Amino acid sequence: MTIRLHRRNILGLVAACVFSLAASSTAFAAGTSADFVRTLAGRLVSIINSNASPGQAKSEVNPLLQQAIDFDNIAKFCLGRYWNVATPDQRTEYLGLFHQALTNAIMDKLGSYRGVRVKVTGTETLQQGAEGVSFILSRPQQPDAQMQLIVRKDGDSYKVVDLIGEGVSLRLTQSKDYNSFIARNGGKVENLIRAMKNQVAHHDDPAN
Amino acid sequence: MTAESQQPGQEGAIRPATARHTGRMALRGCLVACGLLALSACADPKPTDPEALAEYEEAHDPYESLNRKMYGLTTTVDKYTTRPVAKAYVWAVPRPVRQAFGNMIQTMNEPVVFFNDVGAGKPRRAGDSFARWVINMTAGLGGFIDVAKYAGFPHHDNDAGLTLATWGISSGPYLFLPMMGPSSLRDGIGYGLDQGLSPWNYVPRGYGLVTFNWAYNMLGIINGRADHLNDLDQLQRDALDPYATIRSAYQQQRKALADSIKNDHRATVPAWYN
Repeated sequence: MTIRLHRRNILGLVAACVFSLAASSTAFAAGTSADFVRTLAGRLVSIINSNASPGQAKSEVNPLLQQAIDFDNIAKFCLGRYWNVATPDQRTEYLGLFHQALTNAIMDKLGSYRGVRVKVTGTETLQQGAEGVSFILSRPQQPDAQMQLIVRKDGDSYKVVDLIGEGVSLRLTQSKDYNSFIARNGGKVENLIRAMKNQVAHHDDPAN
Repeated sequence: MTAESQQPGQEGAIRPATARHTGRMALRGCLVACGLLALSACADPKPTDPEALAEYEEAHDPYESLNRKMYGLTTTVDKYTTRPVAKAYVWAVPRPVRQAFGNMIQTMNEPVVFFNDVGAGKPRRAGDSFARWVINMTAGLGGFIDVAKYAGFPHHDNDAGLTLATWGISSGPYLFLPMMGPSSLRDGIGYGLDQGLSPWNYVPRGYGLVTFNWAYNMLGIINGRADHLNDLDQLQRDALDPYATIRSAYQQQRKALADSIKNDHRATVPAWYN
């Protein structure tokens, strides 16, 4: 199948957010959004390019994801109009599953980014208090990728709310995935939750 | 009796070449019209719920049912043909060699990019793609080494679908083309135009060139598929509705590419020239 998404597709983006979503276990210092992204990228690159085993690298990255990403904000956006019809229990369950699913997607791609370099190229102010930080992702023997992290102020620091790679928004694409799935499965959030449970369980099954 | 001496409308008359050409064009026009009519008959009914209707309009996918069938067919064929071949290719061919093939394929397509840059009214981009072609075909040993990138002329995408977009032509309905992947009415037409813009299709046919063309096209398919092996595998594994995920990513990316071309206002001559 010649999927004509040119050089990268959306999962490349999922993978790419690895570079933007991790940090060390220490809190991020106050500063500009560009500083935040530089710090994130720098810490993550040092983990990926270290000699740590895949398991060890994941254990180092995982707590950082929780600190750097606004999971709940992204999850709510991804559910779209179905967020309003979900019950409180469904929302809670969905948020937990989304958290795991996104973390798994990022972790799965960690190894393929050895030798990566990140160069911040600019920032811009967006709507609703968001800021876009553009950067170039360079991997050995791969074309450079133009990326943009969308961040929002969170106390003294920032949190990631979206990643745009080659013009494709990670959260918008994920939202289309979920909304289409729900629409084609009776319009019920519980069916999405069931599918996400299977997805997470399938991922955690060592036999897979 | 020559064709030119025949009277149009005569029984069994051999019409002049221009008339034959016009006839073929009319026939093609009729076929396209019939195709569009058949396609319109496959359109899905619009939802009545306002929110669902908004999503339907946003997706630009009135032929979703048909497209999903094409997607299913394509992924099945891919699973048993292209993907295994691409995996074997990755196993057998070292990465630097694959990279060189990718460079060659990209360089061979550079004339198409050039003509589309001209069509989009972007002389600086056209200059870049022309320079890329010249540099890579010579210093890059027939395109196998992307020397132009290091000389300050990185690759940029362009095709006739994007050129039409810069002219203000909307994408039209989303289409999933069998064995080709995501597209749209505009981009599908653009793909046909790109075949006409490729100078390789005008080289006189000889046995060697036919062989080269086949090898080039097959290599392009396999190399392109190999580049996305892991990404597409992960997409199939992680997406709950891979069809909708691909559709959204494709539409966003095409819009971003068209916007980047429209917004490229760089000067035509390099800064050092002034």
